[in-house]
Amino acid sequence: MAAIRFEGVSKVYSDGTRAVDSLELTIGEGEFMVFVGPSGCGKTTALRMVAGLEEVSEGAILIGGRMVNDISPKHRDVAMVFQNYALYPHMTVAENLAFGLKLRKLSRAEIDQRVRAAAAALDLEDHLERKPRALSGGQRQRVALGRAIVREPAAFLMDEPLSNLDAALRVKTRAEILKLQKRLATTTIYVTHDQVEAMTMGDRIAVMKKGVLQQIGTPEELYTHPANVFVATFIGSPSMSVVPGPMIGVGGEGQLAGFRPEHIRLGASAAGSVGFEALIEVVEYLGDERLVHLRLGEQALVAKLPVSAAVQAGTRESFAVALESIVLFDSASGQATAWGAA
Amino acid sequence: MITFPFRRRAATADGNAQGLVSPADWRRPRVRFGLGSTQTLLLVGLIVIGLGPILWLAKSAITPTQDTITHPLALFPHGVAWSNLSRAWNDVEVGHYFWNTVVIAIGSWLSQIIVATSAGFALSVLRPKYAKYITALLLTTLLVPAIVLLVPLYVEIVHPPLVRHSFIDSYWAIWLPAGASAFNVVLISRFFDNLPREIFEAARIDGCGPFRLFTSIVLPMSRPILGVVSVFALLASWKDFLWPLLVLTDPNKQPLSVRLPTIESQTELGVFLAAMFISCLVPIVGFLIFQRSFLRGSGLGGAIKG
Repeated sequence: MAAIRFEGVSKVYSDGTRAVDSLELTIGEGEFMVFVGPSGCGKTTALRMVAGLEEVSEGAILIGGRMVNDISPKHRDVAMVFQNYALYPHMTVAENLAFGLKLRKLSRAEIDQRVRAAAAALDLEDHLERKPRALSGGQRQRVALGRAIVREPAAFLMDEPLSNLDAALRVKTRAEILKLQKRLATTTIYVTHDQVEAMTMGDRIAVMKKGVLQQIGTPEELYTHPANVFVATFIGSPSMSVVPGPMIGVGGEGQLAGFRPEHIRLGASAAGSVGFEALIEVVEYLGDERLVHLRLGEQALVAKLPVSAAVQAGTRESFAVALESIVLFDSASGQATAWGAA
Repeated sequence: MITFPFRRRAATADGNAQGLVSPADWRRPRVRFGLGSTQTLLLVGLIVIGLGPILWLAKSAITPTQDTITHPLALFPHGVAWSNLSRAWNDVEVGHYFWNTVVIAIGSWLSQIIVATSAGFALSVLRPKYAKYITALLLTTLLVPAIVLLVPLYVEIVHPPLVRHSFIDSYWAIWLPAGASAFNVVLISRFFDNLPREIFEAARIDGCGPFRLFTSIVLPMSRPILGVVSVFALLASWKDFLWPLLVLTDPNKQPLSVRLPTIESQTELGVFLAAMFISCLVPIVGFLIFQRSFLRGSGLGGAIKG
């Protein structure tokens, strides 16, 4: 268990591309940190720099207070879980789990005990003598996780470990990873492009875009106090609607107003809220609520309404949003200027 | 692969394999007769051309010399002379030359495998910056016909660089040049290129240095290509004639391929044919034993999502 620090870390490729730009960030001991962002945002590159698979172009990475820029992957005491498992195909599950321990010259008894413990924790005991090709996708991913936990490393690095699993298995494995991480209390960096994974798993989330860290905070902070338009629209599903302020009578010229789907109410505005009239384009019935797609001028909005709301596609209705739930952004820079327009 | 006509039809009727000719077509007498007889003729022809000489050699190896001379194409020998084989092994010393051939073949194989795998590993796994230039140079050497290199190579073997000692009449004269095969290096590095890099990265994080990565991960994952290179290497060295003839002047060190033509004039025909049969046996038996493991598909199943 160790803290991981990025001190002004950049990755510049030979063609001048800055995959990661001046990343400044500390991940506390035992913390579960999620790097999230669209593809090409530099999150995987940042992770690979921690693992030692990519060189650091500028700045320093510290693991447990020790600068690791020039230390080879095997001496960094980290374990990585890859998106496509990366199991050793010619070894059995037991050999896959034991390989890293053998290289570290642990005693046979110690290796045996750790492999057994990991297999028990991951429900792999019946498959120890099988080769990876005889396992299902979920089992393979559990072997990959097992290979990381037997090492008892200072940190886990996970690179989209769930994206090759089907939806149901993903939700299940997500919970297993969380339980495991809480029990072992090992510092973890988890990379994903899926904001739902990020929100449900992370103690804190770092949102990245084009190599630049946009915001870092707890899931709740990111959701309620997004730092800019990108974070506001990236986090949350369906995403936050952002419209020019004057369109709904909030803020002035050059200001954008953002509000989440669940903050839109059906009906005329009352005190402490603003109202607008919009065309209902599509109504999606989800069982416990309705997603209503609206058109306000050129803007497409989404509202989350209770099932009881009487809405019909093709009609125009009045909607209202409480001022306190509106986030104002500067339209030029995209930065948030106020959380709650009241 | 040769497919027996009746087997193909059975498989198609099950719906397992749909050939170019549908089951309905097969039921038409003209198709059945025409295609069936073509396939049978093809099969028989292949057996006669491919297997015929070997079977003839096997028969003649145990036929009395007189019989072979009077009835060379008889299907069955008149009398059996097992002594041909024992005389070939003992009197003509085929056993001795056989051993020479084995030593030469194994040495050449080893030198080819060591050079090709280590070079392939360096070029396609470790990938230094200059790897692409070396690969390009290797590829250009493939364009030079081997026969052109015969004289320079011979000169080099007589006056090897660094070593002040000619390699003539030493097996190193065969083993060392065998290792310098650009074809093997290119073949193996192409195979290494296609191995998933995440596995190498996982191994590096697990604690592998380059050497351990090579021996514990890359080599075990490369069994299919090592099989292919081994078959090529062993067969080529078993039947190589010109180069051993040039560099091994001592008859005691020569392999079968060089000795057999030289002893032909002084040896009884039956014994000579028995000697030839023994020399063919090893590659044939070896191939029959190992063909499955060599031709089996790559063993990457389950390693990565694919």
